[in-house]
Amino acid sequence: MKKGLAVYAVFAYAFLHVPLLILAVFSFNSSRFAVWQSFSLQWYRAVADDANLIESSVNSLIIAIVATLAATVIGTLAAYGIWKRGSAWLSGSLYLSLVTPEIVTGASLLALFQWIFRFAHLRLGMHTVILAHVGFSLAYVVVVVLARLRSYDRTLEEAALDLGATEFGAFWRVTLPYLTPAIAAAAMLAFTVSIDDYVITSLVAGVDSQTLPMVIYAMARRGVNPALNAVSTLVVFGLGMLIMLSERLRKT
Amino acid sequence: MKLRNIFLQPTAMLMAITMLAPLAIIVVYSLLTRGAYGGVELPWTIENFTRLWDPVYGIIFLRSFWIAAVATALCLVLGFPLAMFIARSGSRKNLYLSLVILPFWTSFLIRTYAWMFLLRDTGIINSVLQALGIIREPLPLLYNDGAVILGLVYGFLPFMVLPLYATLERLDPSLLEAAADLGARPWDTLVRVTLPLCAPGIRAGAILVFVPCLGTYLTSDLLGGSKTVLIGNLVQNQFTASRDWPFGAALSLALMAVAMLLLFAARRNGEELL
Amino acid sequence: MNRRTFLLGAATAAACSRGARLNVFNWSDYVAPDTVPNFEREFGLRVRYGTYESIPEMLAKVMSGNSGWDVIFPSAEYIQPMRDMGLLARLNHDWLPNLSNLEQQFQQPPWDPGLDWSVPYMHGATGIVYQKSLGWEPRAWSDLWDARLAGKLTMLDDPPEVFAACLKTLGYSLNSSDPTQLKAAQQRAIAQKPLVRAYLNAEVRDQLVAGDVAVAQAWAVTAAQAIAAASERSDGVSVSKLAFSFPSEGFPRYADNVAILRESSRQEAAHRFIDYLLRPRVAAAIVETTHTAACNGAAQDYLPEALRSDPVLYPSAEILSRGEWFAPQSAAGQRLRDRLWTEIKT
Repeated sequence: MKKGLAVYAVFAYAFLHVPLLILAVFSFNSSRFAVWQSFSLQWYRAVADDANLIESSVNSLIIAIVATLAATVIGTLAAYGIWKRGSAWLSGSLYLSLVTPEIVTGASLLALFQWIFRFAHLRLGMHTVILAHVGFSLAYVVVVVLARLRSYDRTLEEAALDLGATEFGAFWRVTLPYLTPAIAAAAMLAFTVSIDDYVITSLVAGVDSQTLPMVIYAMARRGVNPALNAVSTLVVFGLGMLIMLSERLRKT
Repeated sequence: MKLRNIFLQPTAMLMAITMLAPLAIIVVYSLLTRGAYGGVELPWTIENFTRLWDPVYGIIFLRSFWIAAVATALCLVLGFPLAMFIARSGSRKNLYLSLVILPFWTSFLIRTYAWMFLLRDTGIINSVLQALGIIREPLPLLYNDGAVILGLVYGFLPFMVLPLYATLERLDPSLLEAAADLGARPWDTLVRVTLPLCAPGIRAGAILVFVPCLGTYLTSDLLGGSKTVLIGNLVQNQFTASRDWPFGAALSLALMAVAMLLLFAARRNGEELL
Repeated sequence: MNRRTFLLGAATAAACSRGARLNVFNWSDYVAPDTVPNFEREFGLRVRYGTYESIPEMLAKVMSGNSGWDVIFPSAEYIQPMRDMGLLARLNHDWLPNLSNLEQQFQQPPWDPGLDWSVPYMHGATGIVYQKSLGWEPRAWSDLWDARLAGKLTMLDDPPEVFAACLKTLGYSLNSSDPTQLKAAQQRAIAQKPLVRAYLNAEVRDQLVAGDVAVAQAWAVTAAQAIAAASERSDGVSVSKLAFSFPSEGFPRYADNVAILRESSRQEAAHRFIDYLLRPRVAAAIVETTHTAACNGAAQDYLPEALRSDPVLYPSAEILSRGEWFAPQSAAGQRLRDRLWTEIKT
């Protein structure tokens, strides 16, 4: 059984990583088109020369990190609150935020922001993008954390309370550690939906907050651009190294 | 104030701004008239909803639900063993989990172009099969429903694997060993012990895959060659090319209503919504 | 540069030195790599250059009148609507001495005859790209209904374009909003659908080069790029395996324009930027990068021979006379087209 699972996992990981491999290979292709010609680093030079591409990648990372942190903390608390007492309208609106088509979320948020900005001297920018991202990634966090809480034994927390722990102490010392794997998974999902969002972001972004997906969609309007493969490879490679590093640090 | 109430405050505030206020705007839009060049105008009307009563949109809704359901089922079948593998891999759990999600930190568009490169007539799969002499004419792998479902399964697999992992991880291996010691076959253990214990994870994963699949529009454009529209394309078009925001708002309200109904129907008696 | 423009330039630079800058919102890949840096250097201005993927995306943002952008690039059929919505600023021709560089046909374009609101920037047409190995030349839209093309034909994923091709085969105007004509065109599209491999826009470029697609309805800019990429040099002449034809029944023409938003508080700097884009050498460099025809006639003197005589970019006046510009659709026409399009795709 265990061996079977491992063999299956190899195939599953291959399936997940094949597109990644393809785009990495083509980032070293000397042709502009998706037809292999020869090895070249020209697209990496093109990325280095493209201030727009670099700036938007940095914007994307900042937005994704801030939004993930905020959504994970807020969403974990909410999941706990809903699990403890239930809140029909909160879980209802979280679910609604999942079922709303992105373009509708984006267009209505844009209308809302622009209406508010008529009274305040504000403009669209990083703050509106981050607010929108926390909003739409929140539901993902709550759903994942709540799924784990649903199989949690309430008596564990009650035991801590009986032993004199405060309500917060019981949450912090007993429940939170139990939730860690779910929180990690939820944070990864939140980061993923944030860093890859195009439709909502493009509508609520301002002059100074273009993100990488926005630049990519605008550029790809004319077909594949290998510089986009190069920048994607760099982003994934960088983040992959970070994961490896944190794994090393955790073990030592 | 009770701790749990304090915990709910930030989410309540956020949802009020990013969900309920926009929802109110959509409802208002859906009752207004299309502006000549996009946007909305007076007078009030319910015509946008009466227009929905049309077999064309019914067919599109059914097709979209069918495709989302197939993709969700496939994600579950493919994702479950992977989540199980990760949950049982001890100290490497986090690493394996990150490897699932890592490819999705590239842009969706770039990933999909990579798939197109694999699937097209002169792509890698067809070239290899032709070189090996297995086929003579290239297989039509791209621009059909199969390619769309492949794209959806690929894109949403992590949204199934991660919640499954989050519930499977707590599954005590000794429990499974106990079942085995008592003479249960692996299949029985799976059906009688493992699946019931991780039902919340399956539910969460199914929601996170099915619902976004319903709203998807780019996968069917890029891998399906735009030959058929799904409900997501329809809504997207109203807000872009057709510039008919009120009808787009009405369409999406209909979609949201049907999706909510499905969720209510799927929960067991007295169960929480999420 | 004469004395007057120099002084104006210097004045602009002084006015904008207080950390001010110009926010330009454009299609991607629509200037040469050094276009913006050279402008910044010469005028001492910082330019924030943003890109959008579609006009509706741009419109959604600027409609509030509080977007922060100064200069935008709308397509011809959006000029009048944007003007009606009060989004565009009236142009001051005193600040645009280079307007005279525009080609004759763009001095009084149908969408803005006085050039009061917009300056034509780049233009092109929609036609047919095909593999020469096909053995025959699709010269008319009606050739795209040929059963031999089954599975090897792509059409644009753009309702006005597909309706245009269908309407033209029936001899109607591509801007028709007549229900009988549009329904007849829809029937044509439905009859063609079994032959269609996919509805693709710019992505078709790579598939033409790789040989997956034999015939495609395509924009001139996509065609020019594909033809150049599928070329091989032999005996010093470059020969492409792809060719382009302007359909005999008539074809759509499109033009992108530069305009200034009314909300902009940097009107003068915005005019400087437009005038800079109108310089022949600047425009020629953009044509070389993008493979698109400039509306700037004076730029042609600075183009390499191959581009200047490229029949895809700069077709003869006789061919162009068959072209028809897209015009804004009425609300009713747009709605009918949308409904018919949904049926085609169901």
